[in-house]
Amino acid sequence: MTKKELNNQRLFSEANHEALHFVTRRHFLRDSVSGLGAMALGSLLAGCDWLGSKDKAAIAFDSANPLAGKPPLFPGKARSVIYLHMAGAPSQLELFDYKPDLIKLDGQDCPQSLLEGKRFAFIRGVPKMLGPYAHFEQRGESGAWISDHLPHLITVADELSFLKAVKTDQFNHAPAQLLMHTGSARLGRPSIGAWASYGLGTENSNLPAFVVLTSGGRNPDAGKSVWGSGFLPSVYQGVQCRSEGDPVLFINNPEGISKDMRKASIDAINAVNHQSYREFKDPEILSRISQYEMAYKMQMSVPEAMDISDEPEYIHKMYGTQPGKESFANNALLARKLVEKGVRYVQLFDWGWDSHGTSAGDSLEIAFVNKCRSVDRATTALLLDLKQRGLLDETLVVWGGEFGRTPMQENREGKVQAYKGRDHHAEAFTIWMAGGGLKKGSSYGETDPVGYSAISGQVSPFDIQATILNQLGFNHETFTYEFQGRHFRLTDVAGRVINEIIA
Amino acid sequence: MKIKLNKKLLLVSAILLTALIVTTGLIGHKKVDYNTEVKPLFNKKCISCHGGVKKESGFSLLFRSEALGKTESGKPAIIPGDPDGSEMIKRLTTNDPEDRMPYKHDPLSSKEIDMLKQWIKEGAQWGEHWAYVKIKPVEVPDVSGGFFGGGDDGKWVKNEVDHFIYAKLKEEGLTPSPEADKATLARRLSLDITGLPPTPEIVKKFENDNRPDAYERLADSLLASPQYGERWTAMWLDLARYADSKGYEKDGYRSIWRYRDWLIKAFNEDMPYDRFLTEQLAGDLLPNATDDQLIATAFSRNSMNNDEGGTDNEEFRTSEVIDRINTTWETLLGTTFACVQCHSHPYDPFKHEEYYKFMAFFNNTRDEDVPGDYPVLREFNQEDQAKFDSLKKWLLENASKEETHEMMSFVKTWQPAIYSYHADNFINCQLSEVYLALRQDASCRLPAVPLNNREQLTYRYTSGIPDGKWEIHVDSVNGLKIAATIIPPSKGWTIHTINIIPVDGVHDLYFTYTNPHAEKGSQNNLATFDWFNFSSAFPGKGKPGYDTAFAHYKYLMAANAKQQTPIMMENPKEMFRPTHLFVRGSWLNKGPEEQPDVPHSLNPLPANAPKNRLGLAMWLTGKDNPLTARTMVNRIWEQLMGQGIAETLEDLGTQGIAPTHQQLLDWLSWKFMYEDKWSIKKLVKRIVMSATYRQTSVASDESLKKDPFNKFYARGPRVRLSAEQIRDQALAVSGLLSYKMFGKSVMPYQPNGIWRSPYDGNVWEKSTGEDQYRRAIYTYWKRTSPYPTMLSFDGTAREVCLARRIRTNTPLQALATLNDNAFLEMARHLATRMEKEGGEDVAMQISKGYEMTMFHPISKEKLEALQKLYNQAVAAFKKDKEKACEMINNGNDKTDAGKASLILVANAMLNLDEFITKN
Repeated sequence: MTKKELNNQRLFSEANHEALHFVTRRHFLRDSVSGLGAMALGSLLAGCDWLGSKDKAAIAFDSANPLAGKPPLFPGKARSVIYLHMAGAPSQLELFDYKPDLIKLDGQDCPQSLLEGKRFAFIRGVPKMLGPYAHFEQRGESGAWISDHLPHLITVADELSFLKAVKTDQFNHAPAQLLMHTGSARLGRPSIGAWASYGLGTENSNLPAFVVLTSGGRNPDAGKSVWGSGFLPSVYQGVQCRSEGDPVLFINNPEGISKDMRKASIDAINAVNHQSYREFKDPEILSRISQYEMAYKMQMSVPEAMDISDEPEYIHKMYGTQPGKESFANNALLARKLVEKGVRYVQLFDWGWDSHGTSAGDSLEIAFVNKCRSVDRATTALLLDLKQRGLLDETLVVWGGEFGRTPMQENREGKVQAYKGRDHHAEAFTIWMAGGGLKKGSSYGETDPVGYSAISGQVSPFDIQATILNQLGFNHETFTYEFQGRHFRLTDVAGRVINEIIA
Repeated sequence: MKIKLNKKLLLVSAILLTALIVTTGLIGHKKVDYNTEVKPLFNKKCISCHGGVKKESGFSLLFRSEALGKTESGKPAIIPGDPDGSEMIKRLTTNDPEDRMPYKHDPLSSKEIDMLKQWIKEGAQWGEHWAYVKIKPVEVPDVSGGFFGGGDDGKWVKNEVDHFIYAKLKEEGLTPSPEADKATLARRLSLDITGLPPTPEIVKKFENDNRPDAYERLADSLLASPQYGERWTAMWLDLARYADSKGYEKDGYRSIWRYRDWLIKAFNEDMPYDRFLTEQLAGDLLPNATDDQLIATAFSRNSMNNDEGGTDNEEFRTSEVIDRINTTWETLLGTTFACVQCHSHPYDPFKHEEYYKFMAFFNNTRDEDVPGDYPVLREFNQEDQAKFDSLKKWLLENASKEETHEMMSFVKTWQPAIYSYHADNFINCQLSEVYLALRQDASCRLPAVPLNNREQLTYRYTSGIPDGKWEIHVDSVNGLKIAATIIPPSKGWTIHTINIIPVDGVHDLYFTYTNPHAEKGSQNNLATFDWFNFSSAFPGKGKPGYDTAFAHYKYLMAANAKQQTPIMMENPKEMFRPTHLFVRGSWLNKGPEEQPDVPHSLNPLPANAPKNRLGLAMWLTGKDNPLTARTMVNRIWEQLMGQGIAETLEDLGTQGIAPTHQQLLDWLSWKFMYEDKWSIKKLVKRIVMSATYRQTSVASDESLKKDPFNKFYARGPRVRLSAEQIRDQALAVSGLLSYKMFGKSVMPYQPNGIWRSPYDGNVWEKSTGEDQYRRAIYTYWKRTSPYPTMLSFDGTAREVCLARRIRTNTPLQALATLNDNAFLEMARHLATRMEKEGGEDVAMQISKGYEMTMFHPISKEKLEALQKLYNQAVAAFKKDKEKACEMINNGNDKTDAGKASLILVANAMLNLDEFITKN
């Protein structure tokens, strides 16, 4: 090590050391202004028991090192999460929820009993029933029903844990996606990935704790708020990594600045900042010095982590990846790389699953089949790849949309449509999970013979959130953040850990 | 305490006083204080089961009346004067685990129980929380003599603010710091007051000005500059959750920048804060409201609109109303009111039903979450405005005042309109998104239309086919026909007016539509409607000029508006919307109807206040309101000093962090209302004139050790600049900044691929010319995809209001200022200035650059570090000429390693801690 490097290292460790001493007063103020406020502040940490929980978890927020790795509240089975969100909501009736009775009812008027008191996004009047546009068979030892649309996924059927009766209360994309990821259909709450990075920090300080990857040409309907930090400090929001342009915004040096020059300039900035620290004695300066060091480390490690081109050929074949393009397959492979490197929460959004049937571009016959094809191989590869690396047991994989699709053919504005398509459906749909300490080859919940609503084992987005947090080592009832005078939870006042699918 | 005695006497009285305190302490006669001793204990140990949410066993500690009342066991829990007879004390001390409180938690300590006993013995008096008590005059602590000798104490003090600060510093054993040097002071003052660094000329002038009031002159000139309004608007936009898009899925464009401009002007004119709030909350209800006053009401229209297909307009209208209530409380009243939506406040004295009484003030406006963002204020171009003026003149001369108002208001706002999505009973027609679309042989109903004295129907529609026959019947499809017309094809949306046969009362209207050119059973939409307006007939029939005036009227209502700004407008009486309590906060579960009122634990509505938003504004800006002035003063203090006197700007309630200097907060608030007549400029000046503000931010070992977070202000503020200031400052020092004010939001450089909203064709189109270099408040703010550097520096998406930005320090911030091309461009221009003004010598150029950014000479060590960087860069750029070219990026391939290196140094300068920090 050169003298300069040694000096830098000393500076850096000094900065970190100082920073740790300097837990700033933000929400989690432990000391107080004088004796007077001390008791009131104590109660900030003690929490609001009216929500029925016992001891609240106070996670220390250290603004100087907000993403420092922290242990969970109890040993979790999953170390990280990969959430594959099919934005637009794929049809459960063409993929997992096999309804032979619906075939018989195809083309008949929907019974009034299914329509009374219900509202739909686009169905008007009396729609026709629509039989599944898919061939189903039971797969694997577990006998899970999976259609031919997913010819690869059927080979790993015995790894999956199905939730067949998920019910949400939102039938529009943006609110439903928000509910799924933030626990509220309105904007403004932190996403589950933000909660996870707030609670656990990152295992790899050179990479963000919470990474978001999108494919399908569009961001999800609810925009960046689905990976936002809400009222948590903004540092916990998801960092969007992109396949075009900078993998992380501003991670690459501008043209004209080489790696070495950037290093030299950060050294110069930090040398001047160190002078400023001598002048002002403001510990925040030390924190800034360490953030610039960290920025440089990220510049070194993120492009490398985001580069899939050096993966072996068999991996590319397995996933169906094409380096340099924006695709779900590339993102799936990236997700594995990131989790391997210690990223806590990887959120994928794949846009284009909104099969209304108003045109070929959103039809079940054409567009939907293409979407299935674009994710099937890579999703399966992700599970197998994680497994072969021994990572599946400690990585929780979640696959699903924001709601389901109606058993009825859509009839937008009361018209007959040229293509097969289904409207948004909040009553019942399928989500599957795998790895992360769940039962393999299991299925929980059941819908009625036409797949309209749950008849057993109904779960809500809150239950899914509670289960994800549980696998990460958090009790969703005690994992809170103080804001606007109350302790907020991801699951608000609801949620139940779905113990039925936990191994 | 104002004691003016000679030192000897003082010493004697001090000893006596100490003795007194000691003895009373021993005898134990110090009265228990509810606010600081009892309430915090209740909040911590009891109130979660016995408070606003749960009232276990019928016992609640939130209000005294509840706490002393009967419980389910029949025994009163608290009997004032009789601790041993009080059930509460028995339950705290019993050994039976089923009875002992807190239930299934650790018992209270004997000290705590003794304290509660004594409190009950003393009468169990409830204290009032400081923030809910009316603001009274506060005596300024006298620091001229000092208690224990030392006559110099007063020297540091510059104005009354310092008296409060100094008294506290003394208590804490801290010494204040000396004044910062003039250059630092000028930069601090300029960044704080205008959001921009000073010009070198301003600094030089200040440094050379040896008059005793030089600092005050500088402060005054900055307060008078037009950039003052822009800086404080930047703060207010977070509170108003201002954005240029509507939010949610499509997140389409919303033209509401007129409101931003209104704010800038209001701040610059120093509009008194009470009027400032009144116009924003209720400008539309002021007598003869001006266009500006209507635009001010856009404050409340910054709530999000959901245009996603199939969403329930009423659900999202309701959520907007709720957002307005929460915004009003959190930003203007420093109170977390949102929890009262579902249940009574767990800690503070607000009852569940009071939320909905408050909602009743806001629940009667014409906006209904429709894509048109109605109601809007329509602004005409010059030519049309002339027509408008002449129409108005004619009406004033030929019609009644009421008639004139109805007609002119309609032309300006298209209100009151019934939006077409209210239609139902569809046969051969449907809602297309939220628009009523009629097909061949259609019929449908428009329910409950008030028709008294209505003789004219105006409607906005679009149709692609001629000769459609549209009829309107009363009460049934076969009922009395009150109108029939042929709908001609239109070029896009257009507006027509027809006469209708007057009918008394409120009726369901039935529409029928047939078209000779359409096939039977065709599913094509033939005529689509946006809204309907039923009005009195255009007045003045038969009077001279009637035809021209009526023609102008019809022309103007359909004319293209230059600008349409969403505003607040109250429902007319016959469109009144009752307000119900939502049981457990669910808008679908409606409880009893509620009338407008304010929470009873605060000051009552003024006697002369109408029960609408105007009355609400009168209450809020009345001097009896304990929260309005405190909230604003606390916020201004935070902006200038880095943290609030009460740190939780959003919560001055019992769960907020207690103020460090409550007396000072009250004193400033009192001055703000009574003496300064709500002048924000005077308030700002009062604070910046203090010695407290002017201190150097260099931390002494003593102050760092005793007060690491500078809560007692023994040194000057030192905080990172805001996202807006960081951009504006870099633009200013590089010489790129455009001082152009006002207008439509602009799109400066942003990397590709940031905007990708579904179903929205809008793209980020980089502005041209000086619009690329405008101040940050003019940058287009898209809610689902805000400007990236604003986000990394702690800006938010502005989905809901934000009362306080929490500063973070992250590597992503470093990456933004290092690598964002926008910042690199600024570095290029800064380097050019360094070259031009620094002369031939590199060291001089770097020194000059440092002075241009920091306004004082560079130290030897800093210069060395930057010069070293320069030398390293020159060596590298000489080797790699292509890189040098890219760095300079001036379109020709002449390489200049020196220039490229200087740019790298400038880029480093824009990243220095002291540069992005207010020192």
